Formats: sequence, structure tokens, C-alpha cells
Amino acid sequence: MARPLGPVRLKKANPITIVIGGALCIFILYFILGPSGTDFSAARKAAAASHPLSPPTSAFRKSSKNGGKTKPPPVMRYNLNNVTITHNPVENRENVLILTPMARFYQEYWDNLMKLSYPHELITLGFILPKNKEGNAATSELQKQIAKTQTSGPEKARFNSIIILRQEFDPPISSQDEVERHKMQNQRARRAAMAKARNSLLFTTLGPAVSWVLWLDADIIETPPTLIQDLALHDKPLIAPNCFQRYYNTETKKMDERPYDFNNWQDSPTAQQLGEKMGPDEILLEGYQDMPTYRSLMAFMYKPDEDKHTEVPLDGVGGTALLVKADVHRDGAMFPAFPFYHLIETEGFAKMAKRLGWQATGLPNYKVYHYNE
Amino acid sequence: MLPFSSSSGSKAHPRHHVSGYSNGYPRGNTFEISPHRFQPRGKTPAFRRRGRLFVRIGIILAILGLFSIFVWPRVSILSIFSLGLISSGEEFQLETVRYYDLSNVQGTARGWEREERILLCVPLRDAESHLPMFFSHLRNFTYPHHLIDLAFLVSDSKDRTLEVLSNNLEAIQADADDLMHYGEISIIEKDFGQKVNQDVESRHGFAAQASRRKLMAQARNWLLSAALRPYHSWVYWRDVDVETAPFTILEDLMRHNKDVIVPNVWRPLPDWLGGEQPYDLNSWQESETALALADTLDEDAVIVEGYAEYATWRPHLAYLRDPYGDPDMEMEIDGVGGVSILAKAKVFRHGVHFPAFSFEKHAETEGFGKMARRMDFSVVGLPHYTIWHLYEPSVDDIKHMEKMEQERLAREQEEKEKAEKAKKMKENFGDTTSQWEKDKTEMQNIALQEKKNKEAQNEAPKDQAGAPQANKEEAKAPPKAAAR
Repeated sequence: MARPLGPVRLKKANPITIVIGGALCIFILYFILGPSGTDFSAARKAAAASHPLSPPTSAFRKSSKNGGKTKPPPVMRYNLNNVTITHNPVENRENVLILTPMARFYQEYWDNLMKLSYPHELITLGFILPKNKEGNAATSELQKQIAKTQTSGPEKARFNSIIILRQEFDPPISSQDEVERHKMQNQRARRAAMAKARNSLLFTTLGPAVSWVLWLDADIIETPPTLIQDLALHDKPLIAPNCFQRYYNTETKKMDERPYDFNNWQDSPTAQQLGEKMGPDEILLEGYQDMPTYRSLMAFMYKPDEDKHTEVPLDGVGGTALLVKADVHRDGAMFPAFPFYHLIETEGFAKMAKRLGWQATGLPNYKVYHYNE
Repeated sequence: MLPFSSSSGSKAHPRHHVSGYSNGYPRGNTFEISPHRFQPRGKTPAFRRRGRLFVRIGIILAILGLFSIFVWPRVSILSIFSLGLISSGEEFQLETVRYYDLSNVQGTARGWEREERILLCVPLRDAESHLPMFFSHLRNFTYPHHLIDLAFLVSDSKDRTLEVLSNNLEAIQADADDLMHYGEISIIEKDFGQKVNQDVESRHGFAAQASRRKLMAQARNWLLSAALRPYHSWVYWRDVDVETAPFTILEDLMRHNKDVIVPNVWRPLPDWLGGEQPYDLNSWQESETALALADTLDEDAVIVEGYAEYATWRPHLAYLRDPYGDPDMEMEIDGVGGVSILAKAKVFRHGVHFPAFSFEKHAETEGFGKMARRMDFSVVGLPHYTIWHLYEPSVDDIKHMEKMEQERLAREQEEKEKAEKAKKMKENFGDTTSQWEKDKTEMQNIALQEKKNKEAQNEAPKDQAGAPQANKEEAKAPPKAAAR
């Protein structure tokens, strides 16, 4: 500054300094003493695990002391007799684990997830993403959204805990294009890899506190916000809504919707006969022209005028959206990566659950929507 | 500093210092002194400049502070301002996001060098009496303890298993030696309402096997699903009632780098039963007979090994043991026993579990082996690497032992009586032998005497020629005749 400040200006500057100093003091006092609005509430802090080695379905305390000796993990007791699974999960404060195998990240998926009205502090999210270029891109987008929600979002919107897993899927799925993906000969390898991914995700995240597991595919972009409450209300071990897809109907020149997930079905004698004739390593697939099974598909049971909560028993389920009682998985029901009664992945899962005494149910009139590529 | 501009206020100086340029006053400063203005006393330009600097720094800091509030919502602020001022003990941050790369936890042959974590799973039921033995094993593991996470499932226990277990674990974690401390420890309580009795006889009875094993499988699955974490590379299943096992068992099994691996399990026996016996018959290789048998059974039937009801003719790992064989020898197996299983965590992550239903006519650990094979994992047994299961005598054994004990007592009694009798005899006829000797010598002496006498008599007639001989005979003869 070439021009010196006159004595009068100097005197004027002094109160500014004092004001700024005072403001800083207030800030300091506020951050030290005042309730930190952006931090987690006391209830959440109390529920958090005290050590990083803890069930992934809970948040944990970050150890801030770097120099000090870390204490050995405590002896934790979990009483699974007290983990309830009821038709009123909100009232009973039941933990829900939402599991999503993800190859591509859709913003609509995340937005829909954020809209779920189930208390977010009871929801744990689990993701598994492949270790390839597409997976890396999806992971960084996912992490961006997670950071936004978990650190700067309102506490009400923050989830209890989020787990991201990365895994190399055995046969690298060359392309996620819909046409390539759905080719029949590619189906078996693809679904076996999917099954392994689902199992990896499930068995490493289930933990001792979860009551319900919601399988929700990454391309489910629209569900009712009360999805969890609505499905749990039925109190069924496995329950699947009907998966539809919105598309532009070129004939009527309007937006329309069509059934999408054909893996929710009731078995038919034809399919069983087909199965009997097959070798032990062959699988039955649904929705392909050259293998007519004549199973009754839930996708075609939709009746617009009927009650949303109509139930039908199912023998095979698809994984697009599926609410499962955690006990079913704890008993060992998993997604077979090998032909199990000629069924694989989610369809095999329904069969295995049945062998363990758990029956699957479908809601043909309760719709969720799949992304349209 | 020049005298007239010194900070001492009392000193008078000229109102106008026109000559400022030429009096040696530094050039730069001269411009800051406005010649036509009032100069307050005691305020030098240096002072003012310093003051301005402080103000500017203050403003910049305030702006930076405000800015940082918006950029880093609270993290930086908290760490700057609350650092050590107010109880950092209560203040901690929550982490809600966890990220794991599963390709780092596939499991390798030298896991202890790569710091691979092991999950040690122990299902428990009314096992209080075995716990002290188990904890002595636990303290002795050579695998780095902080890399081992412990998980226990306590189900339907009526004794003090839970208290004893948690007290022992607390003691380990509070141990003065840091190397003793284990990683995450979870005790999981879950009652399945098992009706099956856990004593040896009912536990091993054939009829109870299928339902018992399905319940056991369920318990194992609950334990695993609650305790498996994304950072585990290995899972080790261990029964509490193992009596003797090498401390290095984890490394020994891991070294083979197999997906599923089991040692041979024998048990020591009392001598009258042969000294030792194969114990775990659930580790076997599949046989044609068993496969044919499986086809004849209905969907829910479970083949259990080691019972006469199902003759499977399978080669059992247990029977192939050679005490002097190479402990590293491997054998491909299809069914595995559950006493001590080391498996890569990826096996469980991919969905292999302990079927609580009839999977290819098998349940629990045997079904686990079958399912692992079905998913192309390697399942291996070590026939010559043996660990020893605790010997619990069966009801028959106990009866037999009681009988043996009675026999032994009877025998002892008998021997005792015998000994006593002998002692008494000895006391009563204490010097029989010496008496006998004495008698003998006396009798010999008498005999000798008699002999001598006779000899002496014979010698006399010899001296008196033959006549007296005849006389003697004659002399003898008349009494004879007289007698007749």
C-alpha cells in the first residue's frame, strides 16, 4: 500500500478487528459448546460399535487417537433370540438390509432409495460391484452420492451404515448390453457369477442384528416409498412384488408399461417333466422361446382392478425386488451357483428355501419399475 | 530512529518538517509522513503498519474461517477448534461407510505373512466342562492372535456355558500380554429348541442322527452368517472337545493352500479297548455303492456314515492313518467331518454352507463337503496328520468299566486274602524247614550210628571163623521153629 492510512482510519479499523474477533470467539464457543447440528445424534452414537472390527450393519467410532495404544476389541454378546421379525417393522425398530449387486449406477435408483419412507437409521445398504472399468465408474458415482448423503445431508436422510464390496466376477461379463446379456447360452455363466456375487454380498454383511433383507436390483428405479412396510405387512418369509418396465409404445404413441421380470413363477408339470429328462448339470430357464415350460408367470397375473395386496404362492423368484426374512438366509438358503433341481440363482434360491421349509409369495398387483435401456 | 520521531511522547518536535528529505531519514518512510497533517504523539509509522497488518490478518482469517465452514462442513472446524479444549474423550466421529475389496481376501498358503484374518467358529451346547481345555488350546495358537476373530454360538444350554465362556474371553482380552489379545469376539445366543439329548448315547444313536444333524447344520449356518465379515480370508471350525492338537494347526493346514482341508481325528482309549480308535468317520471318499444307495432313498433321507444301517463301503480318512506316515500327505475327499475344518472364506462367500436339508442325501458337514465339491472347490483330508478328540466313555463302556473295576477289586481282594493266609501259615509254622533239616540230620546221624553198629557186629564173626556163622543161624532158627 503506497498510501498510508491516516490516524482516523486507523481508529476506524480497530472496532472492525474487535467485531471480527468477537465473531470468531462466538464461532469457537458455538462449535465447542453448541450442539453440532451436522453431527450424528446421541442415539445414533450410542448405537454405534466401539471398534472397527464389528458387524458391518452398524456404524463405528473412528479412532481419533493415533499415538495411543489401541484397546483390544471388546467381547460382544448378541442375542439372536431378541431379533424380532414382525409385520410391523417400523414400530418394532427392526433393521433392514438392502442388498444391491450393481454394474451400472443409475441416479434414479439412488433417488428412489432416498425416497423410501422406512426410517433410514434402521437401513443398511450393501453393494457389490465388479472390478472392471464399468464397475469403477459406477463405484465412483455411487461414492459421490453416498458422501453427499452421509456427511452433508440431513441426519434423517442418512443411512445407518453402507457397505461397498468389490469383487472380480469369475467369467468377466463382456458386455452389460441387454441383448448380449440375455442370450440363452450366456445366461448360465452370467447367472452363476451373479449368484456368487449375491452370496458374497449376503453372507459378509448379514451380521447379528438384521431382521429383513431386501434384494433390490440397481436398475429398479421406481417403487412406492412404503415398499418395505408394504411387503413386510404380509409377514411372509419371501415376498416379491411384480416388476414392470415403462416404455414408449410406438403403436399408441404413448408411454406404456410392460411386464419385465419373468423369474417369478409357479411351477408346471411340463417344466417338471423337462427337468426329469435333463442331465444333472443342465438348467431350466424362463422366458426363452426354445424352451417352453408352460409355467404360470406372475408377470402376466397383473390385474389393474384388483387389490394391491393380493397374494399368490410362487415356486421361483426373481431378484429384482424381493423381501426376505433374515432367518431364511441364516438357515442357509442361498443363491445356488450350480444347477439345484435344474434351477440357478434366484430361482434356485426359492427352491432351496422351500427345502428348508420356507414358501415364497408373490404380489402380482404391487408394481415396481425397471430401468429402460 | 531519529530523535524527533522517537516514541517518547514528551519530546517536542517540529510541526512541519520540510527538511525531512535531507536529514538522513530513510526515503521510503518519508512518503508516509504527511507533512501537512497532524501527527499524533507516540504513533510511529512502524507501529501503525504493524497494527494494519494485524487487522488484515484478522480479516483474512475470519474470511477463511467462514469459507471453510461452507467447504468442509464440520470436520476441519471441529478438529481446529475443539482440539483438546473440551473433553475429546466424549467427542468421536462416526464412520458409516465401509469399503472392501474381496480380491484381497482370497486366502493364500502363507496367510500369517500377508496378515490374513481367520474367523474361528465354535458351536457350543452344554459345554461348560470342556471350556477350560478349549481355552488352554486358544492361548497356545501360534497364528498371530490379533488376526483371529472368534465367534461362538451358544444354543439351548442349561449349564453355565455362557458365563464361563464370556469370563474366559474377558480374561484373555484383558491379558497383560498384548500378543494374547484376539480380534473381534462375538458370542451369539440362539435357541433352536433342540429336543435331542446331547449325551453320548443319544447323540450317536442312529435314529436320532438325521434330525440331529439338520439342527446342528442350522446352528452352524446361523453362527457363520452372523460372524462372517468381508475382511476374512479363512474360516476355521473347531469343536470344543478336542483334547490334543498341534499349536501350529492353523499354519499347518493353511500351508496346503486348499479350499477345504481337514486333519485326521482319532481318540485315545483305555488300554482294554485297544489304546486308540478312529473317531471322525464323516471324512470319506465317495463310493459307487453309496451313490447307488443314495438313488434308492427318498428326497429327505440322510445317509449317515459309521452305522451298520447304511453299508456304503466308502474309504474313510480315519482308517487310512499310518502313525509313521508323512503328515503332509493329502487325500481327496467328498464328505468332511466337523471337528476341525479349515476353509477359505471365499468358499462360504460363494454360498457353500452346511445344508440343514438333505443335499444329495447328506446334511451338515458331509453335505458341506458335497456342496463344496459341487462348486468345484478342492476338498482334502490329511490321513497322517492327526488330532485327538476327547474320550467320553459310552454307557456300554461305563458298564464294562464298572464290571472291570469290580473284577479288579475282586481279584485284589482274593490276592490279599491269599497273602494273608500265607503270612499266617508262616507265623504258625514259622521254623518248619529248619526243624525238618534238624530232624533230617538227626535221622541221618541215627542211620549212620546204626550202620556203624552193624558193621561192628559183622566184623566180630569174621574174626572167629565160619562156625559161629552157622551157630548164629542155628541160634536164630530154633526160635523160628518154636514160633511155628
